[in-house]
Amino acid sequence: MAGPVLQMRDIVKTFPGVRALDGASISVSEGEIHGLVGENGAGKSTVIKVLAGVYGADSGSVTLDGQPLTAITPANVHDAGIRFIHQDLHLVPHFTVTESVFMGQEVAGRFGLSKRQMRNMAERFFREVLDIEIGCGRLIRDLTTAERKLVQIARALIDDKARLVVFDEPTAPLAIGEIEKVFAAIRRLKAQGIAMIYVSHYLSEITEICDRVTVFRNGKDVAVFDKISDDSAEDIIKAMVGRELGQLYPNRTHAAGEPLLSVRGLSDGNRFFDVDLTLRRGEILGIAGLIGSGREELVDTLYGLRKAKSGTIELADLPLKLSKPADAVGKGVVLVPRDRRGDGLVLAMNVMENINLASLEEVSKLGWEMRGAARKRAEKLIGDLDIRPTNPDAIGQTLSGGNQQKVVLGRWLAIDARVFILDEPTAGVDVGAKVEIYQLIEDLAAKGAGIVVSSSDPGELIGLCDRILVMMRGRINHEIGTQGLSIDQLVAMTTGAADFSTAGGTARSAHAG
Amino acid sequence: MPDSVATRPGGFDLRRAVGMAPVAIFVAMLIYIGFNAPNFLTWSTIQLVLSQSVPVVVVCLGLSVVVMAGGDDVVSGGIDLSVPATAILCAGIIAQQVTLAEQPLFLAAMLAFGAALIVGALNGFLVTRIGMTPLLTSLAMFVAVVGVNNVITASRRIDIDAPLILFLRDDRIVGLPAGVAIALVLCVVFVFAIHHTKWGLNLQAVGGSREAAEVSGLRPSHFLFWSFVIAAFAGFLASFFVLARGSGSSPGTEDNLLLEMVLATFLGASFSPRRVVTVWGAVLGAVLVAALSIGFKSMGVNVFWTGLIKGSLILIVVALGAASQRMR
Repeated sequence: MAGPVLQMRDIVKTFPGVRALDGASISVSEGEIHGLVGENGAGKSTVIKVLAGVYGADSGSVTLDGQPLTAITPANVHDAGIRFIHQDLHLVPHFTVTESVFMGQEVAGRFGLSKRQMRNMAERFFREVLDIEIGCGRLIRDLTTAERKLVQIARALIDDKARLVVFDEPTAPLAIGEIEKVFAAIRRLKAQGIAMIYVSHYLSEITEICDRVTVFRNGKDVAVFDKISDDSAEDIIKAMVGRELGQLYPNRTHAAGEPLLSVRGLSDGNRFFDVDLTLRRGEILGIAGLIGSGREELVDTLYGLRKAKSGTIELADLPLKLSKPADAVGKGVVLVPRDRRGDGLVLAMNVMENINLASLEEVSKLGWEMRGAARKRAEKLIGDLDIRPTNPDAIGQTLSGGNQQKVVLGRWLAIDARVFILDEPTAGVDVGAKVEIYQLIEDLAAKGAGIVVSSSDPGELIGLCDRILVMMRGRINHEIGTQGLSIDQLVAMTTGAADFSTAGGTARSAHAG
Repeated sequence: MPDSVATRPGGFDLRRAVGMAPVAIFVAMLIYIGFNAPNFLTWSTIQLVLSQSVPVVVVCLGLSVVVMAGGDDVVSGGIDLSVPATAILCAGIIAQQVTLAEQPLFLAAMLAFGAALIVGALNGFLVTRIGMTPLLTSLAMFVAVVGVNNVITASRRIDIDAPLILFLRDDRIVGLPAGVAIALVLCVVFVFAIHHTKWGLNLQAVGGSREAAEVSGLRPSHFLFWSFVIAAFAGFLASFFVLARGSGSSPGTEDNLLLEMVLATFLGASFSPRRVVTVWGAVLGAVLVAALSIGFKSMGVNVFWTGLIKGSLILIVVALGAASQRMR
């Protein structure tokens, strides 16, 4: 085999007061999917930004196809055939697939845009390179998230000059069934000899799709795995955290008590139907389901963000009329939303303000906020939850994903809630912070709170919950205890494979590990 | 596998219905007028409607470009309320120079052109460099420009009988009133420039998602700036049709122009299959609005009521637009 396509050697990058990269190296070969993993702050995104020309490195070398890359600017890097698939989709909702693929690189003749030619090129690309039919005249806002991701990939590759493609958390917004579509596209690119760097927190995906994996820790590559199997995840985690990671999931000390929340025949008439569920004190109840299964809509309805058409929600035999979230909060039902940047956290406010947002009355007198009391409470919770930085004045936006999530949880801890509804509680959170959030959930249950966890990560549901409700096409298809349940079995149920064959028999486990 | 989350099989598509509602309301009103106003659906009335709509059509060309570059959020997106004021200012300058100062029309037009460029560049500068919101910037600019026009014309009516203006008013080209025919050519040019060129598509991308445009290597401020300059240029072009329609410049014309421009442009969004503001949608909207005005007149509806009806229509159109966006 020829030499590596990309070689980054001994890259050093310092910011005032921080050595973000401390001699980091990574090397990627033709037709290779190279995983890049590490905890938040390990230097993954810094090294990618050095490659993209966003940051200039202090020292170190970058070679592409053996040729040293000097003057690394975004334009030069693009011309050299290095492409980036950002985590955010960056698409215009009312543009067609074709217009989106060619955005900024339109084909035009003397008489204006060559619309037909662009459409033909886009159609051919989807058909021949990615092997899917997508309908190039459709609008972005009518596509599924996975399809949008494929449009984004097509945009980076349509000029046929890509040598190396960097994927940053490509599956973060996708459901299990959708991930496979994006993976299929990535494997097609691999077959065509394109080198790829795959940055992700989802280790199960890393072990499924990557050929080799480089692990970053403290701004350095600490391990390279040349052979990847499903069993590699444990070794990769060890390399990432640099210590034995006890157990990802906490020991169960909670025990279910009397019923706390009961839902009967709940329907929104559109996305979910006839949902019955009972949540007990001290119980962690999981809800599994693909995007589109009605899981998100059910969770929103439980909290009053969406209106129910029929059915009842009762809280300890107290009928609950939910028409807006404030009703729920008043009764001690709280939500930690999936989109914590959009719905959960006021990004422009500091940690103290965010924590006290739901409990302002308690730190207020006659409408005046008592800053001293608010600060004291914030400092206590920051300590309890191990939020970093420990500064209550830090702005929400500057926190890492895990710490943002802890702030959102902290807000509800400040008001002694009885029912917690957690929607994707660890999406985009690194392993270390995950363990802490899991422990926090366990502690809440042990204190007698009832907890609903809605998640697309089957490992998390099994590791954390007592029971799991599996939703499919708007209905609860299975209700199952987690004792002895395997990830394969759960995935088979969420994808519907279990309904047609013996459990786990044919289902792919996208998240195994 | 539940693939198509966005499309619901069968059933009533509320989002689509809300998006279509403004057009439905308009068509219903026109049908009502058609039955109640004498001779409304005749070729001569239609020609009158087209002629009357021309100034609004041309300012709408400008506004639609700004909205497409800035996004169709009515508060934070792109909008240029100053276009009608620019048109009135240019008309005032031309009339004052030609009739009172007895300058040739070409020279007067050049002066007006320069004034329009200054307004457009100033709008663009304030929005892209200083970071002001287009709504406030162009509202203030509207008031200031009208003020300048009042100074120049001393707030009086000035007649004009330059040959070009009379040609626009009275002559015909291939069976159409000359003004209508020439406005039609302008529309074709704008539709081509915005909907069929790379630059135009990039401008729409900037309006659709500024971040997406930036990631694709486009410079949003470039497109925003030029959209305001183009809008002012449209105001300059509109001044000729304003002069032709009124046989001169008269103070106070800008208010109605502003109202109809905003109504027409956002109404036009409901014509587009994507429910976004487009050049041709705005043009169609302008013609519909003119038809409505003339229809009310020929039905003998009190002028004061017409204002109330138009204002309410703007509210309805914008509210429905916002509602259909929220449903996305």
